[in-house]
Amino acid sequence: MASVRVAVRVRPMNRREKELSAKCIIEMDGNKTTITNMKMSDGVTGDSLRERTKTFTYDFSYDSGDCKSTNFVSQEKVFKDLGSVVLKAAFEGYNACIFAYGQTGSGKSYTMMGNPGDLGLIPRFCEGLFTRISGMTRADEASFRTEVSYLEIYNERVRDLLRRKSTKTYNLRVREHPKDGPYVEDLSKHLVQNYTDVEELMEAGNINRTTASTGMNDVSSRSHAIFTINFTQAKFDAEMPSETVSKIHLVDLAGSERADATGATGVRLKEGGNINKSLVTLGNVISALADLSQDGGNSNVKKRQVFVPYRDSVLTWLLKDSLGGNSKTIMIATVSPADVNYGETLSTLRYANRAKNIINKPTINEDSNVKLIRELRAEIARLKALLVQGNQIKLLDSPTALSMEEKLHQNEARVLELTKEWCNKWNETQNILKEETLALRKEGIGVVLDSELPHLIGIDDDLLSTGIILYHLKEGRTYVGRDDAATEQDIVLHGLDLESEHCLFENQSGTVTLVPLNQAQCSVNGMQVTEPCQLNQGAVILFGRTNMFRFNHPKEAAKLREKRKSGLLSSLSLSMTDLSKSCENLSTVMLYNPGLFSEKGPIFLRLEFERQQREELEKLEHKRRLIKEMEEKQRSEKAELERMQQEVESQRRESEQVQLRIRHQEESLRRRSHDIESRLRDLLAEKERPGAERQRAARDVQEGTEQGHDMTAKELQEEDKEDAEMSDASEEKKDQDELEREEKPDGTEKIDKQEEGSESDSDDDNDDETEKSLPLSHAPLPPPPAPAESPAQQQLQEEQGEIVRELERLKREREQQALRLRLERRRLEQEERQQVGLVGRLEEQLRERQEATAALLARDDARRLAEERRDLADIRQALPGGPPWRRDRLEHYIRGGGR
Amino acid sequence: MASSYSQEWRSVCDTFRNAQTLSDIESRKDPENDPFRSKYKARDLLKEILTVLKSFDTGETEDDDNDAECQTEEPVDGGKGEACGRRCPGDSNAGIRAAKLGVIEYYLGVNHVETEELSAGEEHLMKCMKLLDRCTITQENVSLCIQARNQLGILWAGRDETEKAQGFLETAESIYIRYMKEDGQPPMDLTEFFVGEEDQLSQQERTKRFELAYTHTLYYLAQVYKNLEQFERAGKYCHSTLQRQLELNQFVPLEWAINAATLSQYYITKTRYMEGRHCLAAASVIAGLAGEVPSEAAAQESEIEYEKREQLRQKRAEIARCWIKYCLNLMQDAKKLLEDNIGELDVDRQAELSRVRRNEEEERERERKSTVLFSSSDTFDSICALEDKVSCIFPLDFEEARAVFLVGQNYVGQAKEYFEMDGHVTDHIEILQDHSALFKVLAFFEEDLERRCKMHKRRVDMLEPICKDLNAQYYLLVCRQLQFELAETYYEMMDLKLAVADRQDDLDAHTVKKFNTLCSASMKYYEKFLDTARSPDGKFPDKLEDEVLRPALVAKFRVARLQSKLISASPTVQIENLSRSLEAYRFVVQYCEENPEARPAVETELELSEEMVSLLPIKINRIRAKIAVN
Repeated sequence: MASVRVAVRVRPMNRREKELSAKCIIEMDGNKTTITNMKMSDGVTGDSLRERTKTFTYDFSYDSGDCKSTNFVSQEKVFKDLGSVVLKAAFEGYNACIFAYGQTGSGKSYTMMGNPGDLGLIPRFCEGLFTRISGMTRADEASFRTEVSYLEIYNERVRDLLRRKSTKTYNLRVREHPKDGPYVEDLSKHLVQNYTDVEELMEAGNINRTTASTGMNDVSSRSHAIFTINFTQAKFDAEMPSETVSKIHLVDLAGSERADATGATGVRLKEGGNINKSLVTLGNVISALADLSQDGGNSNVKKRQVFVPYRDSVLTWLLKDSLGGNSKTIMIATVSPADVNYGETLSTLRYANRAKNIINKPTINEDSNVKLIRELRAEIARLKALLVQGNQIKLLDSPTALSMEEKLHQNEARVLELTKEWCNKWNETQNILKEETLALRKEGIGVVLDSELPHLIGIDDDLLSTGIILYHLKEGRTYVGRDDAATEQDIVLHGLDLESEHCLFENQSGTVTLVPLNQAQCSVNGMQVTEPCQLNQGAVILFGRTNMFRFNHPKEAAKLREKRKSGLLSSLSLSMTDLSKSCENLSTVMLYNPGLFSEKGPIFLRLEFERQQREELEKLEHKRRLIKEMEEKQRSEKAELERMQQEVESQRRESEQVQLRIRHQEESLRRRSHDIESRLRDLLAEKERPGAERQRAARDVQEGTEQGHDMTAKELQEEDKEDAEMSDASEEKKDQDELEREEKPDGTEKIDKQEEGSESDSDDDNDDETEKSLPLSHAPLPPPPAPAESPAQQQLQEEQGEIVRELERLKREREQQALRLRLERRRLEQEERQQVGLVGRLEEQLRERQEATAALLARDDARRLAEERRDLADIRQALPGGPPWRRDRLEHYIRGGGR
Repeated sequence: MASSYSQEWRSVCDTFRNAQTLSDIESRKDPENDPFRSKYKARDLLKEILTVLKSFDTGETEDDDNDAECQTEEPVDGGKGEACGRRCPGDSNAGIRAAKLGVIEYYLGVNHVETEELSAGEEHLMKCMKLLDRCTITQENVSLCIQARNQLGILWAGRDETEKAQGFLETAESIYIRYMKEDGQPPMDLTEFFVGEEDQLSQQERTKRFELAYTHTLYYLAQVYKNLEQFERAGKYCHSTLQRQLELNQFVPLEWAINAATLSQYYITKTRYMEGRHCLAAASVIAGLAGEVPSEAAAQESEIEYEKREQLRQKRAEIARCWIKYCLNLMQDAKKLLEDNIGELDVDRQAELSRVRRNEEEERERERKSTVLFSSSDTFDSICALEDKVSCIFPLDFEEARAVFLVGQNYVGQAKEYFEMDGHVTDHIEILQDHSALFKVLAFFEEDLERRCKMHKRRVDMLEPICKDLNAQYYLLVCRQLQFELAETYYEMMDLKLAVADRQDDLDAHTVKKFNTLCSASMKYYEKFLDTARSPDGKFPDKLEDEVLRPALVAKFRVARLQSKLISASPTVQIENLSRSLEAYRFVVQYCEENPEARPAVETELELSEEMVSLLPIKINRIRAKIAVN
């Protein structure tokens, strides 16, 4: 309630100013007041930053400068604007305060008290007060008690202006009472009955007031004066006695020069007394510092609360209940128009501009809400989660953790629960149907809606519309029109060419007549009707261009059926197909029963629920099948996996065998080369034997070679066997490799052939060797035979050469064989590596496949779960107790159609 | 100075003395209806002297050649009077003559200002400046130079030309500093130009008067800086002024003490607790110098004793209140540093701050030495002793906080002795609110939840009775604050009880009852608060006043929360409570829809209320559904 209204009022030039031929520097326009600095035009103070004129906006700007001017604001006007507001507030039980502020001689007292015959605000206010009081008393509305007191504050001391005997008129103490508020101790209070009483007291007080002549003003208020009206109303408020007390302060401040003493302006510097040690205003400055520094800066930061011991504030102290809280405060700043008072006038205008700040702002230091907000956010999150879940299955932390069967069970349980819930609801619906002469029954998979009353069924040509609307035509009249009709319509429709009051149905003991109103477009079975028209069972009615209905009259229909049985009726009504068509899309059926049960909830047809439920069960069944299928698939996949693993295993075993065989082969090769070496050694040893022996030796050798031949043959046989084995192995290897890719299929064979070849070569060599071993055995070692040697010797030499050649060949052969051996080993090693890599890859592939299948399964799971959830949500929606938005819509429909 | 012995000169001196007496002493006895009678008389006398002096001048001009030279000078702007080459020395004959004229012009100027004729006053003071500007600054005229500028400073500040005032005063300041550096001799006082040699002042007296003039300069500058919103500077000048007053022994103890105490509040707002404590300790000590409090009996005997008793008790109580604020803010600032984002003690911050504190110990010592101290030898020790009684660093744990709390609580007792409920309602309640706030911030440091709850209970116990007693028509603001605080305190207690119950892990019937009682009590006070916004006929306003807008909406918001917190086994009651809660949330949302300008004030609360308005019906429906199933 706390509010301050600020008005500025300018007075006429006084005699002194006129003598000085002062110029007027105040201009007023609407609620704006402009002051001009005359000195600036003279260029005396050339501060370019300052404007020559300054404009202030107040609630009111009163120009009372020239009483002959049309703009002159009279005392009456001031009272009307300001006083009456306060007066009204007082009767409402608010505290109020009017005060004037301004330089000495600027017209404060004139505004507040006025002159005889030109009364100011205070007398007018009192007059208004008593006029109203006597009026209300006469009307016996309330009784009143009015007390006044009058005090002045002079040099910070309070004096009672109405104390008749001046025993202790000075320095009254200002105190506060918890119930009665601030008060002045020992201040006299005077009961008044009418304005004359007040006037007398005021005059008496004014005589006591401290005024003085100064050079500036002949009669100047040297003190603040507060005239207080305590105003109690007693009345009965709804049989309860009530009493309201209002305090109205009417304040006449001392000249603004002195008002500073209250610390109210804080603009002026105070002089430090040269004799007195006191630096009076230092305290004010420090106080202001402490005050201001908490205001500055970020307003979001909680201010520090400090204590600032104010002083010299009897006035503000006394008025504190008026300068804040539930009170109306009005301030009138009075100014002189003359340029000589520029400084003071400007200061007054500035103060008035800030006056709203003097109101005590109630500062409520609230605790921070953070904790509460955090709690609430958590709760909101919880509720939202609830909303998302609705009545669905609770989401498990990890959906895979739960077996399909379990989920299935849950779903089934849920469906059971829903069914139960729905049954309850359905029973309600059933009851309604019973009451309302409506019935639903099932016929095969279809549903039949039976109503005993004549009714309309809406045929909506909007393909997206899925509801069926049924309007009962009750006994008496049923009005059809738009919702903007003057009277409430029973059936509210919208559409092209639909009038606000379109038509009415009249049901008189079973005969229903359609009565078009205001030339509205109505047609029955395609025929435009303008006159009342009786309706027959099955009639198709069109209102305007889009609202089509089928008229059903159950009783009539029953009669007709009877007739049909007896072959009296040739064909049934016209548009059954239309109706059945729209029935196909039926998902929700709503019944509208105008005027009868507008408050009751929506009705759902049994069919729909049963169908939905059946569908749901089917879906569940389907899902169960799906799950089984999936599990089967999983099983077969697992088997395949195992098979593959086994394969890998066998392959690994095979490759091990191959390696083993390779090792064997290597071994045998090594053996053979040993053999060859040892034979070579023997040969060399033989060569070194003496000639005589040589012959024998040659024979021996022959024998030996024969033996050796046998041996080599044996060896050969063995080798052949080995080779066969080898090729077997390579064949196996080939088999093995076939699985993946073409694996240089000839490679091994070729090498084998080479081997065979080389071995057969070596066989030949061996034969040669054995053949030539004889001469060789005779052959001496180089040096080659001298030309003079005997033919035998030559022969020997030849033989020897042969042997050497033979030896060299053997050596070469050995080297070749060693090379081949190395090659073969490398090849085998490579092969082995390849095989190992292959196995690894296979394993990896397997793993991948396993993973993929697992992921696939999981995804399927999730998708299926989501599906289920969606399905369930659908069910929920279909249920009457479902999510609120749905119901809101229904209610909306009902309200729309069911008046 | 032949003229000084002449008869004529003697009469000038007499006239001057008369003018002084009239102005300074007689004027105080002037009747209220003619307050300037003596001042006007003094003015006439001064004008007389001026005429005589000027006639002396014309008489002597022929002998003095320098005079013409000096008169050519144009007045220099009051701000920056730079030395001009053609000045005559201040101690020359011409200089002294100028000073004499200047003194009279000065007094005339002051006289006019004092009788509310500012423009005339300004004219005289400017004439004085003009005279002085022709001379260099010397022992003879330095005091006048400063005082004339002081007066012009006041005058211009009174006209809202603060920058102009600042110019004069800052010049005065620099004149003082330069003189003290270059000369430093105790200068002549203004009055000494018009007294016989036998009445010349002692060097000591000269110094005292001169220093006082300069103290005034600082004092005015403090005001000027405040008006220019240079608060930092203003604070510095206030501090210096106080310090000089103490040093020069030119102060009224109670006034000085209150000023120092108030300055402490300024320092508190700047979180300069060391300076704040120093000011307060000094204030307490200096206030002690004001003498014994007269007994009640003596006060009843005499009006003067009564006044004195009132004054002393009031000022000391006010200083005590400043101390309370010191303790409170110190603890609250510490809390701000220590609390986590939901207002609980953050143990990590605590550890970190105590580590930082150990490191800063030395630095603080250094800082302390650089602070301007109120040093007067006889009081210094007692000031230090008082300072040692309370810490000026942030308390970091319960023990430290408790030490500060106890000091604060002690001052609460002292302050309440004078500010009793009967007669000092507002002050008394403000002290209680501080006491409550002390408990509240102490509770922050308390770890034990039960004990914390008890502290809040103490708050309730001290605030609840007065809240009941108070008439909201006169103490609306106070009532609102109390209601709000009580509501919040009950809320806090409820929260604590819940936390305690949570820890014990079982919710017995007794606890539930207690919990619900606290909830209801909190709601009751929020509702009471909201009721204060109603019109006398009980209607809630369509549009809330700015100052209650946020609190009122927050109150509604909290009521909504509390309603939903009430524990009940009965679903019907649950639904009832939740519906009320919904209603309160809806109020907030609707109010903001109708008054979009209110939105920024309660942004978060509104957002949450909107959510709750959409979600609570679901909760209610679920309970309904449960009832239906059963």
